[in-house]
Amino acid sequence: MAQEFSLSRIGQFIRRDLTIHKSTFITGFLVTAVLLFLFCILNMVWDKQLGLEEFFGIFGLFYIPMGILFTFSLFKEFNDTKSNHLYLSLPISIPERLAAKWFTVTIIYTVAFSLLAIFVGMLAIAVGTVIFNANFNVLSIFTEHYWNVIKVYFVIQPIFLVGAITFAKNRIGKTILLLGLLVLGFLLFNFILFAIFNHSYGVFSGETIGSEAIDKAGEDLSVMGKWFYSLLFGPIMLAVAYFKMTEKEV
Amino acid sequence: MLTVRQLNFYYPNSRPVLKSINLDLHKGNIYGLFGKNGEGKSTLMKIMTGLLFPKSGTCALLGESTKKRNVEALQHVFFVPEDFELPSLSIATFEKVQSPFYPKFSKEQFYELIEEFKLSPANIISKLSFGQKKKVLIAFGLSTNTKVLLMDEPTNGLDIPSKSQFRKVMASAVDEGTCIVISTHQVRDLHSLINHVVILDNAHVVFNQSLETVSEGLWFGKALNPEEPSILYSESSFGGKTILTRNDREETEVDLELLFNGVLSEPNKINTVLKNIHHGTGV
Repeated sequence: MAQEFSLSRIGQFIRRDLTIHKSTFITGFLVTAVLLFLFCILNMVWDKQLGLEEFFGIFGLFYIPMGILFTFSLFKEFNDTKSNHLYLSLPISIPERLAAKWFTVTIIYTVAFSLLAIFVGMLAIAVGTVIFNANFNVLSIFTEHYWNVIKVYFVIQPIFLVGAITFAKNRIGKTILLLGLLVLGFLLFNFILFAIFNHSYGVFSGETIGSEAIDKAGEDLSVMGKWFYSLLFGPIMLAVAYFKMTEKEV
Repeated sequence: MLTVRQLNFYYPNSRPVLKSINLDLHKGNIYGLFGKNGEGKSTLMKIMTGLLFPKSGTCALLGESTKKRNVEALQHVFFVPEDFELPSLSIATFEKVQSPFYPKFSKEQFYELIEEFKLSPANIISKLSFGQKKKVLIAFGLSTNTKVLLMDEPTNGLDIPSKSQFRKVMASAVDEGTCIVISTHQVRDLHSLINHVVILDNAHVVFNQSLETVSEGLWFGKALNPEEPSILYSESSFGGKTILTRNDREETEVDLELLFNGVLSEPNKINTVLKNIHHGTGV
């Protein structure tokens, strides 16, 4: 009896994915490297330095969109009517498929992108130091700025994973639309909760009633709220992805 | 090996494609699955692979429902679809990334078949013609050595020499432990290859007999007397070919095309004759 969860099969599946999508990943990384370098140089032109916060701001600008694009690229076979026969009939269980895909577009992608970005960032700093006498500093991942970007990606990535599985056409657009609607829905939900708990404190009196309340609804996220949304967008979306994959037919 | 029971299937907003299908497919046989276009041959094969789920009824491979897509079940089945796309890799790289999932995959067999099909391991799949891609997939499917091999219109896209090459490869690759199902509407392509015929019509299995039984019970040829009562089916074209109950006549080669047309027009007559043969009563 074959095991339904085998680490070796997951490894083989990751290897298969990386081999098939090798050219997409290499092209994506090369384009990112060039853009990241240019953005870093442009940033240094103004204040002759590239601080950690600035660098990881630029890093997030590319890291998250590229991760989303890679997620959609990795699931292309899944919804392609000509290639999904071979893909879905491959002897690998759904938990293994999901684990392999998630590991590739989160852990492997993050490690590869971070190493590339730090190398490009350091190169840009070195070039900036030589060309316009910018301050030299070392970029490191041991900073809160880096981990904040990573956290955001890890939380939102499963939503795009579900979108990549669910939609057969215009997958990115439909996922972003759905995400936008979800954000609007939750903003409204927060607003209602805020109104219920705070109306007695007079926050709804005066002329700035709506905007003030919405601002506060957006800012005031309790620890419980953070856990709620992290769970909702992280593990629950992965569970949704699992069931979507189970139900998938050609 | 592969058991289908009371299986029903329909696509959304469409008429039923398969109704109350019952089939038992055994190892050591090459089944020819015939039917007109749109009669559900491909759908049935996809259900057998677990790529589509029956609306009701069951389809089980070695006792496991194919719908579950268990690793165990998927390791024993390989499906060659009619229309497909393979990754843009060299044949050798494709083999390297795809073969580890099939425990009984034989590299030697694969490269021998690739050579037989006049292809090179260095060929980039995306640059090959559709027929050549099909050859790669057929070679891969045969080399997986799965217990069940399903092929949907395998000769579509193959040129005339490749069709005979395909028959030759198939004949040499088959072993006793394998069950092969080949679906086609080009019955002549499978001549001399299959040993069991299944015909689908109007969403039902209208014929399910081994060629041995067919040879035993039916006679294919030109009837001397066009009014002969044992004529089950006749075609006026091409010199008036007929299907007769064999009785004491000499055994003839089964004309698959004639049998197919005969079954579609006179299913009850032909099935009754074969049923009686099967029960030893004769006709």
